Order: sequence, then structure tokens, then C-alpha cells
Amino acid sequence: MKLLGNTFALTATLLGAALGGGACGGGNDTGPLGQVDSLLILQRPARIESGDIFQYTSYKAGARIVKLTPPTADGTLETLFPTAAQSAQLGVDASQADVSGYDLSFDAKQIVFAAKLSEGAHYGLFLLTLADGTVEQIPTDAGRDYTSPIFLPGDRVMFTTNEVVEAGAKQHMDEYERGTTLQLGRINLDGSDEELGPRNLSHRTFPTLASDGRIMFTQWDHLGPENSGHLMFVNQDMQELREGFGKEGHGASNSTLKAQEIAPGRFVGIATSRSRTVQAGAIIDIRLGEVVTKDGNVSAATAASEANSSYVALTPDVPRDNKPSADTVGRYYDAFPLNAKDKPDLLVSWADGPVESSVLSAAGIPANFGVYLYDSAHQTRRPILDDPAMWDVFARPLRTRTAPPLVQSATDASLNGAFLIGSLNAYKSTLKQFTPGSIYGVRVIEGYSSEEGFPRMFGTTMFEGQAQLGVARLAADGSWLATTPANVPTALQAVDKFGMALFVEPVWFSGRKNESRLCGGCHEDRAATTNIAPGQLQAFAIGATPMRGTTARADRKSTLADLANPNIIGNDGAGVEKLVGMAWDKAIQPVLDAKCVSCHGDSNTAGVAPYTIMDPVSGETVSWTFNLSGTKKPLVVNGEDLAGEWPASYFSIAGPDMEAIEKANLVTAGNFKVYMKPQAARDSLLIQKLNPTVVFPSPTSERAFPGMTPHSTGGRYSELTATEFYKLILAADLGVNYYSRENNPGL
Amino acid sequence: MTNLRTSVLAAALALAAFTTPALAGKGGSAAAIRTAIASHSSDAIIAEVERAESLACGECVQLVTALTESDRYEVREVAGWWFAKRPGLAKPLSEGFLQELASSNGTTVRNAADFLGSTVTYAALPGLRSAIARDVGTDAKLAIVRAIASLGHRDGAATLRIAMTDANASVRAAGVSAWRELRDVTDGTPLVGSLTDPDATVRAAAATAVGALTTLGARGALETVVISDPDAQVRRNAAWALGKLGVAASRPVLVAASADRSGLVRMTAKAALASLK
Repeated sequence: MKLLGNTFALTATLLGAALGGGACGGGNDTGPLGQVDSLLILQRPARIESGDIFQYTSYKAGARIVKLTPPTADGTLETLFPTAAQSAQLGVDASQADVSGYDLSFDAKQIVFAAKLSEGAHYGLFLLTLADGTVEQIPTDAGRDYTSPIFLPGDRVMFTTNEVVEAGAKQHMDEYERGTTLQLGRINLDGSDEELGPRNLSHRTFPTLASDGRIMFTQWDHLGPENSGHLMFVNQDMQELREGFGKEGHGASNSTLKAQEIAPGRFVGIATSRSRTVQAGAIIDIRLGEVVTKDGNVSAATAASEANSSYVALTPDVPRDNKPSADTVGRYYDAFPLNAKDKPDLLVSWADGPVESSVLSAAGIPANFGVYLYDSAHQTRRPILDDPAMWDVFARPLRTRTAPPLVQSATDASLNGAFLIGSLNAYKSTLKQFTPGSIYGVRVIEGYSSEEGFPRMFGTTMFEGQAQLGVARLAADGSWLATTPANVPTALQAVDKFGMALFVEPVWFSGRKNESRLCGGCHEDRAATTNIAPGQLQAFAIGATPMRGTTARADRKSTLADLANPNIIGNDGAGVEKLVGMAWDKAIQPVLDAKCVSCHGDSNTAGVAPYTIMDPVSGETVSWTFNLSGTKKPLVVNGEDLAGEWPASYFSIAGPDMEAIEKANLVTAGNFKVYMKPQAARDSLLIQKLNPTVVFPSPTSERAFPGMTPHSTGGRYSELTATEFYKLILAADLGVNYYSRENNPGL
Repeated sequence: MTNLRTSVLAAALALAAFTTPALAGKGGSAAAIRTAIASHSSDAIIAEVERAESLACGECVQLVTALTESDRYEVREVAGWWFAKRPGLAKPLSEGFLQELASSNGTTVRNAADFLGSTVTYAALPGLRSAIARDVGTDAKLAIVRAIASLGHRDGAATLRIAMTDANASVRAAGVSAWRELRDVTDGTPLVGSLTDPDATVRAAAATAVGALTTLGARGALETVVISDPDAQVRRNAAWALGKLGVAASRPVLVAASADRSGLVRMTAKAALASLK
């Protein structure tokens, strides 16, 4: 063995002795590595901090891509990058580079990798030709990071980047409003035609190519209670986003990442927690459809859908949360399948002991990831390479592989850059039983984060910024279509004739310019066949509802005059489309001032009883009285003013963060009520009490809750207009936020 | 530390003495934050502070306030973020930090700038501008530029202009890079002069920024740089920028750059050639 240094020499010698040479392959052509001449391995200098699973900026100089020949502990290690010749050829000291990921071309002649050349630089993409060792940089924006490259058919590379697809816009902040998100993109191998994919509201990471030509990747989903990392599919052109694995209660953990295909419909991935796990966890064998065994190989491509998916834990003792792993159990950084047996053999990167950030940091010892051959049938590991100074990760056989087909999606230039969405029948859903005739249409919502200049929260409810793009009326057959802005996170709500959400799709999705996306229904059965016969859909005959599909981001908002107008919705229903964001002080407070504060203002002439919040240990008790005025009132609990930065009306209606109240063991008593539920106008006390009238397709006097007496009865106030009702409903269904574009303090 | 911050701390301490170890929103706790701090792990501290995103917890206020003065930027940043989620607490703290921007102590200014940036305190813009013009040290100036980038407000442009003329190259480079992070600022003309900066990192950052902003007025300087700059990364960024500008007149220099001695430059120049109009 060619040794790299004294420490490594000792480790390698021990490993070689343990294996007795050739135990993992090389000389044994019947083993899982028997037909493999060499392995590629990424060696990154060991580090204690690497961030959560979506962090991509970690840097430590001295990474290298190496080749191990034969793939055994006594094999010869050759550095492919960086070499002195490459430093000379590039004109930089490549020994200072860190490398975060790589991929091998289909013909096994080139490696594309993501490297950061120095501390102050960003991760960029590089192409290494194995025959002569030359390296060229693929041109990308040097002020942005480009990571996780993979080869695509057609001489392209896919990657993740924090560069933004939308000119003039800033990239979305993530679900915590902290990190700049990564999204997908692709570029030709010659550096031409960089294309950036449509944006999710949070991160997308670790793309991988499936044999059917689609890309699987990890997407962080965050909308309301949804808050986890799932596997998703897109085509190579980043269209046709589809769910893969992890939703609908089928996931093995909070996050699933670094997926690699074992066989059609079958993937191996890392199941772990979002943070503190050094991006490592348990290995799971994901089966997307019906499991089929043929000639000893297991696949699961038949009836593949998220609803039919399942998984097998290949490392059952490894924690899938962020608890420190036990000695001899450890955690796995990545896994690569060598065959498709029911219990496959895997190349893995594994570290022993408590692979958890705080334990490692307290000990001052980084995780020591080494490369192993893992026999999942017997749950045994055989060491291949372990340099204690390095993270030895992403081991791959150096061999050719079959390129999957080029998968392109249809585009429609007549959309003029918009994104066409719709469904065949909105009543079809596996998650909601709709009463026939109950759905008026589908509301499309745009999501955004604090990058537009907002403080790092939009209110007390922890929802992202939201704007109503429009409501598409259902045709008689339940179909609908809408043209919406491309590259923008959007979410859907089925709404009734009062404009209240009947069902909320709890995820953001997005599409490219001129992309068309038709679903079967509202979260329909994904295992069922969807036959799209556009000529037979009534929505096609009616035409798509225009929803600001080509309107610039800055203009996707209401005018302040429209927000203040109590009659913007006319008797014919026109004007609804002018209500976009429900800035509390601009849209809602005027309604409250006009109709409510005379009784529910600072003086509380209505005599609404207060509620209290008590700390049962200290006995500290604070009191809050319902108040719909725009004044600010403090409510200090445990040293923290929960209310004082919001108008009393907002805090009275939106309420405090209930999770904080409950988890802090605080006790609410008295007349405690939260009057608006985020994305649930129909279940909101305020809306029920007011008992709104029909707004769609045009206003009528019919009430939403027939058995309930409207609060206006008895002449307490002049009844709300259709516009005022709808603004309150929208405020609820858009997350009960205080901020929207219409009151952005950063402009 | 200001009196105001001291009193916030004192209040938190007093309350903490009477409260149970609170279980935080999304599963965190004050005890978990304390343990993470004791571990010295940035990952663990960030994770636990994030998990305490919505916790009403006096003890947490004490712990996280201390983190605003950590030696590590990533820890100061998450501490500021935690307060940003609590506008009722962040406001009085911000007022204290605004005063501290006037301090002669560089570390104090650094911590203040990071807090005000991570809490998105637009009121800090004038103070940041004043501070960067003083001799507060490189770390503080870099923090000021970070804060301006976090705020992203066009009124931060004046501060960045000062940063771009700083004696320290890292401050100049940071100022140039932050320029494109300002919302509604699309003119890269103020960056053109940095293409001839004596420091290569500044020139490299300027080339990238003027390309990203499609600053046509930078073409001449970029064409000079792509041929003659001694630094490969500067030449590479200049080639990329010329591709972004897409002006056909840049063809001769890009043809020449396609045969550059550095592998960083060649493919970039070829791709830029393909994008010329």
C-alpha cells in the first residue's frame, strides 16, 4: 500500500491485517466488489462543525478526490485532485481547496466536482478529465455557491445553487428565515446554457439520477404544521415536480437525504434529523411501489407512488433522530448500492461512536468517517479506507454505467412565460371528502420569505409571507386551470362560495416558464392512473384563469387604495382579484376601526372578560383583554413581551404563539380564545361569529353558517360589506400574518 | 454593555430564578441551550437556539443575550435571529446596540453590527454608516458590511461605498460583494473602479458583481482585465462577466482568453463567447 503519512500508515496497516487482504474484492471476483477495479473516494479534512443537513458552505482546506486500486484496504491510493500539476495548470494553489461532492460520468472518463478554492471563495463546479488529469472550471457566478453536481444525459450537469432564477429577486430564506436556500439548476458540460430551476420556499439538495431519467432530491417542506425533508422527483429539465417519499406518514425520519437508486423504484437513503447529526444517520431501503423479486434482484417500480411507498431499515440500531449514536453503532454519512439483492451490499461511509455535534465538540474530536463495505443481510462492515485525519465519503466504483434516457417535458410558448396549473377534478382527493357542489374554486397562493425586506417573521403564527394570486372557478366537471407566475412557490386551497378554504394542500410547489402541470385532483390517489384528455375538460373550453402569470414580483400586491376600499368587490363579483396581500394595518384594521372598535376598543365597552396567562411555578400572572384597536399593549410573560410589538387587534385575533405557551408549561385561564386559525377561516371563531355572506361568483346575502346568528344582529354595527368579510377570510386563510408586501418595512 | 441590556438581563435572571426549566417550542429547552453552549459546538448551539424559536423563557433570554457577544459570527447571528423572532425583546436590545455602534471598541461595534443586521433593524443604517468611517478595526468593518448585506436596504449603499475605499482589502472586497445584495440597486457603476484595485480578491469580486448586475459601463475595464490581470480567478470572473454583458465587441478578447494558460479561464471564456449577441 502506498501510504500518505505515519498516522494513516498505521490505520491502513491495521485494516489490511483485519481484512487479510482482498477481502472486499479485488482478487475475489464473486464478492460485491469483485468486478470493481477501483473506487473513487472523496476525502475531506475532518471537521467538528458541518451544520444542519442543508448547510453547504463548510470549508476546510485540503480535500482530495482519490482512487483506490484495487478496492481493498491494501490497495494503492492515488490522488486525482488536487495535484501539483493541476495547481500549475489552474494558476491557483489547489491544495487549499475543499471539495463537497462529485459525480463520475457515464463513460467513467470524467469527474465533475464542487470545490471551494479558498476561504473567501464560493463553491464552484469543476471538470476533471481522468485520462490526462486536466481540470477546467465550469463557468458559474463566482459570487454564488454551486454544489452537489451530477451528470445528466446529453452532456449536462445538474447542481444545487443559491443563485436565483428570478432576475432582480433575492433567493428565498429558509424555513427559519436564516439560511439562503439551495435550488436546482443545470448547465451544459461546455459551460453554456445555465438554467436555474423553479424555486421552493426552502432548500432542495442532494440530487440523484434515477434509471427512468428523473431526478430525485431532498426538499424541505414547510407550510404550517408541515416541517420536514422529503424526497421528490423532477424531470431533467426541472419540470414535473412529483412527490417521492416521506410524506403522508410514510417517512422513516424527519429528513431523508443522499438517495441513490438500487433498482427501479428502489432507493437507499440516509434517514436522520435536520440538525446536530453531521448530516449522517441510519440507512434505509426505500421501496416506492409494489415490491417485485426477479432473479434475486428486488425492484419496486410497479405502481410506484408515495402512497404505496415503504422502507426497510438496513441499520436498525442507528438513531434516526438527533440522539447521540452509541459506540459500535455510529452513524452513516452516505451509502451506495453495489447490487439489488433484498438485503443489498453497500459502499458506506461510517463513523463510530456518538456522531452528534455537541458531544463531538465537547470532546474536541471530529467524527471519523471511513469507507466500509456493508453487508446489510448480516449487518456487518468491512473496512476499506479510514484516514483518521479525513472524512472518507462518497465511495463509488470507478466504472461505466448506463445513461438513462433524456427526459424532457413539454412546454407551451403561448403561456408567455407563465406557469399553467390545474386539475382534472378537484373533488378527487385521498385526504379530504368533499361534499358534492361544495367547492367553488381553487385559490392559488404565492409564498415568499423575509428576503424581500421583512423582519424575520410575518406575525405570531410562524407562517411565511403569502399573497393571493387568484381563485379559479371550477368547471361543472370539477376541472380548473390557472396561469400563475413561474419560478414562484405556490400553494393551493379549495374554497367554497364564501371564499373560505375547505382544504389546504400543505406544501409549496413551483414550475418553470411555459410549463403546464395538470394533476388528477386535490391530492388525488397517486397510484391511480390519470388520463388527461384536454379536449374533454370543460376547464379547457372555459380557459385558464389569469393569476398574475406575467406580473412582476413587486407588482403582485394590492394597491393601498384598494385595500382601504370597503366596496372593492362589486355586486357582480368583480374586484376580488384586486385583493392580494392582507397587510393587517392596511387591510384589516380599517375594517375593525369601522365596525368593531366602538365596542371592542381600549375601553372595552362590550365588557368582554379577559384571560390570564400564569406561570404555575413563579405564580406570575398576566392578563389580556380583547381589544380590536390599533394601539399597542404589552403582555410580558417570563421577561418577554409577547404582544407589545403588534397592534392589540392583531394579538387579540391571532393570539400568542400557542406552542410557546404550551411547551413553556404556562397556564391560560379565563376567557382565552384565538379568534383566527391560520389557513382555516371556516374554523375561526371570528369568522363564525360574523357569519359571512356569499362572495362567489357574486355577493348575495346567504350566510355561511345558517344556524348561527350574525354578530351584527340587533344593529350593533352596520353589517360588513362583501369586501370586508372577504378581507377577514383572506387574512385567516393566508396564515393570519401581520406583514405582507403591502406593508413591507424594508421598502 | 449598555444599562438597557443589563436591565433586560437582570429581569431575565430574576425570572429565571423562579421558573421551571421550560420546554421549548419544537422540543428545545433552556437546559438544552445551556448544554449546547457548554459543548462549544456551533452546530449544537445553533440547533438548540433554533428549536427555542418560539419559547417564552426568561432563562433563554439570559443565555441567548450572552451569545450576542460570542467570538463566533455564526453564534452571534443565530442569537440575533432568536431575538428577531421576539420583537418585544429585540427592540430594547436594538436600542442599546444602536448606541454601541458609536463605541471606540471594535469588538463592541462588531457585535452591535451583527445583532442589528440579524434582527433586520433598519434604524441602524445611519449608525452603521458613521461607524464604518471610524477606526473601528477590520472585524468591525466586516461586520458592518455583513449587516448592510443582511438588511439589503438601498440606503446601505453609502456605507458600502465607504467600505470599498477602506485601507483593508478584505473590507473592500466585502463591500464590493455586498453591493449586489442591496434590493432595488441594479447599477454596478460604482464598482467599476474596483476592477483596478491592487488586491486580486477585490478585483475578482468586482468582476463578478458588475457581470451579475450587467453593468455595460464596465466592459472596457473587464476586457483589459481578462487579458492582462495576473490573477487567474480575476481573469476568469472577468470572462464570465463579459459573457453576461453579451456585447459582440468583446469577442476578440474572449477568443484570446479561450486559450488562457489557466483551466479556470478557458471554458468560461468559450461559454462567454457563445453568449455574445
